[in-house]
Amino acid sequence: MATNNGKKKGVLVDLTRCIGCRGCQVACKSWNERKTGKTALEGNFTNPKQLNSDTFTRIGFIEQDKADQQPVWSFIKSQCMHCEDPACLSACPVGAFSKTEQGAVVYNFGRCIGCRYCMVACPFNIPKYEWESTSPWIRKCTFCADRLADGKVPACIKVCPTTVMFFGPLDEVKKEAEKRLKENPGKYVNHIYGKEEAGGTSWMYLSAVPFSEIGFDTRIPGKKLPDITWGMLSEIPVKVGALVVGLGLIAAFRNRGADADKSSESKQEKEK
Amino acid sequence: MTNHWIDFKNADVILVMGSNPASNHPIAMKWVMRAKEKGAKLIVVDPRFTQTASKADLYAPMRSGTDIAFLGGMVKYILDNNLIFKDYVVNYTNAPFLVNPEFKGPGELNGLFSGYDEKARKYDKKTWGYQMGEDGTPKKDPTLKDPHCVFQLLRKQYARYTLDKVSSITGTPKDKLEAVYKLYSSTGKPNKAGTELYAMGWTQHSVGTQNIRGMAVIQLLLGNIGIAGGGINALRGESNVQGSTDQGLLFHLLPGYNATPSASLKDLNAYIEKFTPKTKDPKSVNWLSNRAKYITSYLKAIYGANATKENDFGYAWLPKIDDGMNASWLMLFDKMHKGQFEGFFAWGQNPACSGANSNKTRAALGKLKWLVNVNLFDNETASFWKGPGMNPKEIQTEVFMLPCVSSIEKEGSLTNSSRLAQWRYKAVDHLGQSKPDADIMNDLFLKVRELYKKEGGKFPDPITKLTWNYGKEVDIHKVAKEINGYYLEDVYDKKATPPKLLGKKGDLCASFVHLQADGTTSCGNWLFSQSYTQKEGKVINMMARRGKEDPTGLGLYPNWAWAWPVNRRIIYNRASVDMNGNPWDPKRPLLKWDAVKEDPVSKKPGVWVGDVPDGPAPPMAKDPGKYPFIMMAEGKGALYGPGLNDGPFPEHYEALECPLEESLMSKQRINPTIKIFGEKEDAFYSCDMRYPYVASTYRVTEHWQTGVMTRHTPWLLEMQPQQFVEMSKELAADKGIKNGDRVKVKSGRGEILAVAVVTSRLKPFKIGGQTVHQVGMPWCFGWQYPNDPKAGDSSNLLTPTVGDANTMIPESKAFMVNVEKV
Repeated sequence: MATNNGKKKGVLVDLTRCIGCRGCQVACKSWNERKTGKTALEGNFTNPKQLNSDTFTRIGFIEQDKADQQPVWSFIKSQCMHCEDPACLSACPVGAFSKTEQGAVVYNFGRCIGCRYCMVACPFNIPKYEWESTSPWIRKCTFCADRLADGKVPACIKVCPTTVMFFGPLDEVKKEAEKRLKENPGKYVNHIYGKEEAGGTSWMYLSAVPFSEIGFDTRIPGKKLPDITWGMLSEIPVKVGALVVGLGLIAAFRNRGADADKSSESKQEKEK
Repeated sequence: MTNHWIDFKNADVILVMGSNPASNHPIAMKWVMRAKEKGAKLIVVDPRFTQTASKADLYAPMRSGTDIAFLGGMVKYILDNNLIFKDYVVNYTNAPFLVNPEFKGPGELNGLFSGYDEKARKYDKKTWGYQMGEDGTPKKDPTLKDPHCVFQLLRKQYARYTLDKVSSITGTPKDKLEAVYKLYSSTGKPNKAGTELYAMGWTQHSVGTQNIRGMAVIQLLLGNIGIAGGGINALRGESNVQGSTDQGLLFHLLPGYNATPSASLKDLNAYIEKFTPKTKDPKSVNWLSNRAKYITSYLKAIYGANATKENDFGYAWLPKIDDGMNASWLMLFDKMHKGQFEGFFAWGQNPACSGANSNKTRAALGKLKWLVNVNLFDNETASFWKGPGMNPKEIQTEVFMLPCVSSIEKEGSLTNSSRLAQWRYKAVDHLGQSKPDADIMNDLFLKVRELYKKEGGKFPDPITKLTWNYGKEVDIHKVAKEINGYYLEDVYDKKATPPKLLGKKGDLCASFVHLQADGTTSCGNWLFSQSYTQKEGKVINMMARRGKEDPTGLGLYPNWAWAWPVNRRIIYNRASVDMNGNPWDPKRPLLKWDAVKEDPVSKKPGVWVGDVPDGPAPPMAKDPGKYPFIMMAEGKGALYGPGLNDGPFPEHYEALECPLEESLMSKQRINPTIKIFGEKEDAFYSCDMRYPYVASTYRVTEHWQTGVMTRHTPWLLEMQPQQFVEMSKELAADKGIKNGDRVKVKSGRGEILAVAVVTSRLKPFKIGGQTVHQVGMPWCFGWQYPNDPKAGDSSNLLTPTVGDANTMIPESKAFMVNVEKV
């Protein structure tokens, strides 16, 4: 897979290192000058509860009680996965999304018509809409595309105290993930989330806890989502064409001799 | 701390007990994680499974307030299994010292040490002294067998701390106790290092000082003091609180941890006599024997040319405290509550939320004539008069707000837990009329001095004779230089032949080694001497340096900023080598004696390589070698510490408010020397059905202290919006409380509303066969902002008026409450 001389970047999120400090959540808000909303504590420290148009990344707190063992408390960072072949980009009828040279999937407000197909298409449920605005944007993590273009690391990665995120050329990130799995047998679940999911994403995860237990969707197929759509869309001309032809033939067959009937009816009419 | 933040990465085993670095010192957690990457093991002991515990290799739950029982059990385990670092213990600690045979401990006296005066609630320490030899030094038994030697007394003290007893008191399952003891005491080998990280979880108890002493005993037994990856490390709760205690902000201290003189010390000689420790052992450095130099230089710094030999260097102008007076926090607010204060500067603090028994504090503020709030924001203190339960019509206190600037709007140094003073530049200009604290102090002082000069007064000299010339707008560099100190004349080392010039008149001091007791040097804080100095004529702000070199590879970074004392990064580092000066662990060469290399100062062969050594003297085995614990009079680490109010060995006592009628360890339920406050506001309730649950308070990553700065920061408040109380699923089920329900938490002193966080990270304890529940709350919320009843008020409305026996720090970590659904 071409990674254009290391220009394309990736991130390995090693969840075993996250201590849940939420520095990333604040750094992102700071860099992107986002607002805050009124939140309430409802028994879990995750706040805001979901990503929203002002929260591009957030830490989810997930507790698991283990009988006769110490509890497991996981801190999960969510943000846009910056897919290799993004479903949002593909679904957008006006091409408001593009993927930069560094691999960031970015949004161009100038083209957006507010149809929100991207929100439906994304398997990770990432793009969020500015419902309260009269001139609403779609908002999501930008992979700090502006910082990347400037040779800097994304804000969340810069601020993380425990190096949760390994950032570098996509190839190297994939190699690092494999290396950690190999060199630490038993430490991680034997799966790199994002390596295959949705056809591969720029942001990948390693975890000590099964992904299905910590809020990751493990049903996402290991193929590019636009390919699935294309698979169906590309058959439309053929199938519709075949349907038109088929139905046309059936109609023609059923209507054979229809003119003869009609002329005999009118003949009968004339004879009356 | 004895070591420093980065040093944690050098440890083999890290014990986190009495702190929660992942939540409250996340940047420090970086170094804990680095250690783990290198194979180190992390142990967390905490009533609650915290964010730090989520990364632990071994977690042990423990009831709040039972740390000494836990640690005492570890001491017993180490001694029973002979896991001590023998050479270290025999040669570097007071283990061999013989104690007065009349000394008796709690094992024999049912929880007390010999010499207890029940009425006065204090000890007569006559029987606690050492047996002295003819040479004037304590008698010693290097075989550690004499029944009166410290080592045997230690064994006797902790004989009662069996696994069964400790488990019954702490609620920690026996297998967990053993697992922790085994893993931690594996660091007793010469090539292993164990470090301990603590914070308010250990200090904020009526036995707080002894909690830390307990760990100091363990670290000395295992040979972990003075080595890389070892130490006893306080994670300070604020970025410059180390600086504040260094500069003497506490009532009982002058800058540099010199004692505030009491009134009966009539002259400088009396002060020096009282506070200069003596020893007859020529191998003991006894560094504090230099006290006279430091106090005299301090007097010269503050009174300048006005301080002369003839007037005792102005000692008479130095403020004194009455003999025996305790003016610590709890005492101040007690007196304020009794109406004994006219005015109060709440300077960069929020007592209405931070002080224990906040209802008492808030009522006390109402007895003042005036109150000045120097802060970035309005808060519960400045607005106390319109807080819940207050009737402004009945309050006569006049409140002033002096807006000050934050640390990024001014230049200066912050000193962190590593004793590292780092200079900061000014990043942004101030807003509106806000001013740096130094300028506010400057304006106030200049006005006060002007009034004294004009109107006179009972005793104006202590004000009018002070040197005070920092400019109309304070040049903070002038302050830093005054702290460092100057040579007031050409100063010579008279012991050298010919006498050697140490420093020229008017130059900045090179270090406290050059300070004199004859008035020829000035120094605002001897510990900080060298922080802003002069080398070959060039003035250097050592605190502003940012060198990234790390020659030892141990993370010392000697050219990054400046640490006290004299840029030593790990103190007591002479204990990291054997008697010949070779590192106990060659893989962690903190210090090494190079017998061949020339000492640049003495020009003689023999010099220490690595960290700044604790004094240049050769290793112990060489002449004139010195003992490593240079700040102790006898030069040895103290397993036995007779200097404290409540005993030379830590003994388990219950908190003032505890769930038990009697302590399971002895007949003495509480610390026998703590002050009992007697007002109705100070009422405490132990083993009381109305308040059946053990409570503790703690911090969260998102907020800081009482939350004055962080509640006003929307990004932070969004993440952590409301007061909460964490409780076990079992307790919640008992009370019909569901996760997220609003509940009321009540103590004998107040009540607050909170959101219930029902979690498996807290579990009920089995204490003495009974089930005891524990809950916990943050203390970062206050009614004033956001002005939303759902946000919550301070947990300190619940905490009791009781302090540690030695420091009077409030016991906010173990008290009793009730929790009800609303």
